[in-house]
Amino acid sequence: MALKYDDFIESALASIEALLGGDYRLSKRAIALCLLQEDPDLERQVKEQEGPSYSSIQNIVAQTRAGYSQPLYQIIAQRRQQEVRRIVTLAATSAAGPREGFAERLSRVMMNPITGVPILLLILYFGLYQFVGVFGAGTVVDFIEGTLFGGWINPWVTGLISAVIPFEVIQDLFVGEYGIITLGLTYAIAIVLPIVGTFFIIFAIIEDSGYLPRLAMLIDRLFKRIGLSGRAVIPMALGFGCDTMATIVTRTQETRRERVITTLLLALAIPCSAQLGVILAILSGTGQALLIWGAVVGLVFLLVGYLASKVIPGERPSFYMEIPPLRLPKLSNVLTKTYSRMQWYFMEVLPFFILASVLLWVGDLTGLFDLILRGLQPVVQSIGLPSETAVAFLFGFFRRDFGAAGLYDLYSSGILLGVPLVVAAVTLTLFIPCIAQFGVMLKERGIKTALAIALFIFPFAFLVGFILNRALISLGVSL
Amino acid sequence: MSIWRKITKLLGLGGRGSSCHGELRIEGGNRLEKVVIVGSPNVGKSVIFNNLTGAYVTVSNYPGTTVAISRGKARIEGMECEIMDTPGMYSLLPITEEERVARSILLVERPGVVLHVVDGKELERMLPLTLQLIEAGLPVILAVNMMDEAEAVGIDIDVDLLAKELGIPVIATVATTGHGLELLRRKLGERVSS
Repeated sequence: MALKYDDFIESALASIEALLGGDYRLSKRAIALCLLQEDPDLERQVKEQEGPSYSSIQNIVAQTRAGYSQPLYQIIAQRRQQEVRRIVTLAATSAAGPREGFAERLSRVMMNPITGVPILLLILYFGLYQFVGVFGAGTVVDFIEGTLFGGWINPWVTGLISAVIPFEVIQDLFVGEYGIITLGLTYAIAIVLPIVGTFFIIFAIIEDSGYLPRLAMLIDRLFKRIGLSGRAVIPMALGFGCDTMATIVTRTQETRRERVITTLLLALAIPCSAQLGVILAILSGTGQALLIWGAVVGLVFLLVGYLASKVIPGERPSFYMEIPPLRLPKLSNVLTKTYSRMQWYFMEVLPFFILASVLLWVGDLTGLFDLILRGLQPVVQSIGLPSETAVAFLFGFFRRDFGAAGLYDLYSSGILLGVPLVVAAVTLTLFIPCIAQFGVMLKERGIKTALAIALFIFPFAFLVGFILNRALISLGVSL
Repeated sequence: MSIWRKITKLLGLGGRGSSCHGELRIEGGNRLEKVVIVGSPNVGKSVIFNNLTGAYVTVSNYPGTTVAISRGKARIEGMECEIMDTPGMYSLLPITEEERVARSILLVERPGVVLHVVDGKELERMLPLTLQLIEAGLPVILAVNMMDEAEAVGIDIDVDLLAKELGIPVIATVATTGHGLELLRRKLGERVSS
């Protein structure tokens, strides 16, 4: 029961079908319809397969198009819609008009700027700050890192290793300052995993409730100023989980321009969950420090977005997103999703964290490490940071979360405090995307764009750190 | 999910994403039948995929959760099938990158069944794709999902009449609770074996 279009289109379809000799997976009628609607992908395929007769097809398409005042895809879509309406009227009945329930009212309140912004702030405060920052990165990390690893596992393993392995050098590989167990595993299990885990829980609940599309509507107008649309909200929100994952999700955006701007902002100004959790935890002592960090990163986000939208050519985005109903998250899906993400994440970080410990151990042993540190020293010192932070930067380049864990370590051992702590937090947040993210950028955006973004971010992050350090010192801010 | 499958999954053996592009695989002398799940964003394709394969791909309440194709295996009526979950598409004429990804699978693979999942509340907006899939000569089965939400807003759907008008099998489902999925498996089995 094929749907019939008007005679003019039908005869065009028949003549195109007769000319199609190639092998297509879809019916010739469907291919002919796509050609009439000027589908560039299929035009290319058909051109390749049909060779000389393609120009006759083009002629038919042009003639048919000339017969209508509207574009053909509209004519075809209208006919289809008409048929759908006929079928739906027959097969479905809609009883009463939709009643306005609690969910609809809540939904409207979430999208209205006056009530929506306070709701967003509440979600950020309780979901991110209290749950991920204070509880995940504070309480849980303190317990696992301090009590479990610091008090029990690490002393016990250290004792065991020293008893079994007689050589101190080999002992150090496992339980030394940069040991696989005392550094690599401790970082991964005790610092990164609890933070990422608590973030994934809260994020799964937010995702399943249907809040994100509403946030997209709320923020659409602000995002238009920086060349984006509400559609960018979902990749950005995902970026707070993992920027690598988020860069893949830019596929949902319509224009190349939007994808490039989002990729840039993700790489520059969106901290991943491990970074965010660590930063919330180490800056939560002084509200002022957290405020400065948030203000600087937020400002950079808006400023760079605004400038990028002026520089990068392309059409302005239009925004249309379906708003699914608000739903009560299902506990089973929240748990399964959190579990599967944590498992994926853990498998991603573990090999790297172990490798990093081994590299640090080798570097320490050969003196190479000192050499690199001394090389980086002037750079780090120019933004007012102690030279030990160079390690966090060096490895933050390979993985953001490792850099964040290093930052946490420096903070808890009392090396980083006050103004330098804020400067380090800001610079590490802006700092170059990690290797995995860079890889995805290469794949999704191409080598030129990816390199351009990385080359911009690297000096820019230090420049912001430099200015911030000078500004805070000359303003006499003490934190 | 059996313990064994869990273990092999944890070890990263087998599971989803393990097969190659556009390749026909021979198993026990039979071609592995392919089922491609398509439909608008946020209609429950991934929930159905998870149910059929016993795997887990991320499911959320917003359009655009799935941006790449996931593959998994399922036993349907005793037959081993390869199931593919695709990013959302509104029409056979793609606009966004995710739609292009979804359509590419229809241009590359030879699916034994194309399972079109639609939201029961939004039939008018979603059936045009069904018509396009039928036009394309694909073996379509329609799953009218979220029937619970449709009923809640007072929409009553006669699936048999819908099936007759469209000329394809139509099944009413509530994927999140599993309602209708047994019947869906049976219909998939019938289509695949025919």
